[in-house]
This record gives sequence, structure tokens and C-alpha cells, in this order.
Amino acid sequence: MRKSILAGAGLLALSILPAVTAAAQTGTAWLHVRVEEAKQASKVAVNLPMTVVEAVLKASPEMIEKHGKIHLGEEHGMKMADLRKAWKALAEVGDAELVTVESEEENVKVMRKGDLVQVFVDRKPKPGKDGKAATKGAEEVRVEVPVSLVDAFLSGEGEEGNIQAAVAELQKRRGDIVRVNDEDSHVRVWIDEQNTQSPAGK
Amino acid sequence: MTKLAVILGVPIALLATVASLGVVVVDVREGGPDGHRIVVPVPLVFAQAALAIAPAVVPADKLRIPDNEALEHIGLAREVLEALAQAPDGELVRVEERDELVVITKEGRSLRVRVSGAKENVSVNVPLHLALQALPDEQGHIRTAALAGALGAVRFTDLVDVQDGNDHVRVWVW
Repeated sequence: MRKSILAGAGLLALSILPAVTAAAQTGTAWLHVRVEEAKQASKVAVNLPMTVVEAVLKASPEMIEKHGKIHLGEEHGMKMADLRKAWKALAEVGDAELVTVESEEENVKVMRKGDLVQVFVDRKPKPGKDGKAATKGAEEVRVEVPVSLVDAFLSGEGEEGNIQAAVAELQKRRGDIVRVNDEDSHVRVWIDEQNTQSPAGK
Repeated sequence: MTKLAVILGVPIALLATVASLGVVVVDVREGGPDGHRIVVPVPLVFAQAALAIAPAVVPADKLRIPDNEALEHIGLAREVLEALAQAPDGELVRVEERDELVVITKEGRSLRVRVSGAKENVSVNVPLHLALQALPDEQGHIRTAALAGALGAVRFTDLVDVQDGNDHVRVWVW
């Protein structure tokens, strides 16, 4: 009898467990930003449903035109048509290290890996006084942009980037987008379906 | 006896009617042994009536926000509030500092802002539909009639709760 009760309770707990763990899962994509600054002992967490992000991007008048497109134009250094051509050529190459810069101050790498464009920047620490071991100024930046996001952004016409298509693509993305770590602060931007920043997500 | 019943009954019925339509209550409690307590109940129907007749008695330019940068962002604010109203509930912002915690959450059709400090605790509840109606239109006109209508839907809501040391201020709609 006792075993039956225990088994029943166990089954009940198992049936409740998915409901409990899924309590924070909203089925909607959420954009999360987390900034931690150790010196100031401050932590900032922002969680926004992608629908709200989309609304902000759609309605921001300075940057985006009525139809949700960003003008790139020549004033930004590169014509959109050239950017499209370059991107098409890169797509045909497949996985490759696109840019490598190695200097005394920092190493920069831009590569395409699978369905991601990865940008890695590693700033080296400044050397200490009198040739002592380097201690301060180190910084690590990791940016991961899905190829499909760039495809969507470049799907506009003329000198316009299609921000609406890009946001729609971003809605499908799950995982890290940006990570910046330096000695004082940590910044992380990611997308998932949680409406809060769970300890696992820290 | 009948006269007495009428004399007492009419005001009680009136009071009950006004109360049933909603009352905004401002409750201020001062700390300390000599602290005062002030409770100001304002029938919601009075506030609604004042808002409804405002366009008739207040010059039009006073019910309009000036043409400045704020007016340019009304559209953005409306889009964001509408998107928030339709979005699922969740914690939107959390700022943790040494001696202060700020949390903004979306709960149902409201935004709740909580600020907790060493001496002060503030809680503000912003009904999203009220905020939407309080936004001026594209020409900057404040839509008082719409605002009056929206007020009726914020009943049984704690709007503001401020605890500052021993002082306590609370505004709620009953």
C-alpha cells in the first residue's frame, strides 16, 4: 500500500515537473541583456519580448524608414550593392577565416563557421610599469551573427537594409549574440524563450 | 419614522452609488508618535466628469503638449506600450546596486515598478491601457474623454505605494 502511494506520488511529481520547469517558458522569443560591473557592484538585466524590440525598431524614426529599412548609402563607406555582392561571394566560399588582424594591442578574427559569422576581438593587457607582467586592459569580445540574419538584412532593395526581415529572422535565433568580457565588466546579449534571466543563463 | 428613513436613506444611497462607481483613495501616514494620517477619498466619477468636461472649460492649447522632441516620440511610445500590452508577462528590467534594487515587471495588463533602497521603498503600478489613453495623439492633443473612460477600468488597483522611513503614502483605486 505504502509503495503504491509512493509510486503514485512519484508519478504525480513527474507529471508536475515539466509544468513547473516550463513555467518561465513563454513560447515567445525574449532578448536578454546582462551587464555586470564588479567595481560598482552593479548588475543590470533587461529582458524584452522580441515583439517589443520589433515595435521599437519599426517606430524609431531617425534610423528606420516607414517600411522598416535602414539606409546604408555611400556616406557609410560602402554601397549596399557592393555589400550584397561581397556577401554573395562569401556565401559561395563557405566556411573560411575572412579577416585576421594580429597586432601588439589586439587580435581580431572574423570567420564564417557553419551558419554563423563569428567576430572575435582579444585586446591584450597593457604591459605593467618597468616591464612588469601585463595586468590591466585585457578585453574579450565575442559576436556571433547568424548567416540567415545577414541574408535577411541584405534582402532589401537599393541602398536599404531590411530591418523588418532581420528582426523576423532574429525571432528564430536562440542563444548568445554578443559577449564582452573585460577586467571590470561582463556584457552578454542573447535570445531564448525564458521571460527572466535564470541562474543557468548567467 | 418614515421621514427619518428618507433623510438617512437618501445620502446613504447616494454615497453607496458613488462608492460603487469607484473611489480613488490617497492615504498619507506620517511616522512618529505625533504623525498625522490623512485619507482623501475622491469619487472616480468626479475625476471622470472633470476630465470629460475639461475640453469645454480649458483652452485647447492647455490640453496639448508643445511641439518638441517629446511629440516626435509619441508614436514610438504608443507602439511600445501596445506591444508590451500584448507581450507575455515577465521581468523586463532589474538593476541591482549596492544599496538599491529597481525591478520593472509586466504583470497582466500592468507595468509594476519597484524601487527598494536602504530607507525607501517605492512601488508604482501603471495600467498599460491607462498609459495608452494618457498618451496625446499625433498632434499632441490630450484625449481627456478617452482618459476618463480608461479610469473606470483601473478599479481595485494599487497605483502608488511609497514607504519613506516611517512615512507611508498609498494611492489606490477602490
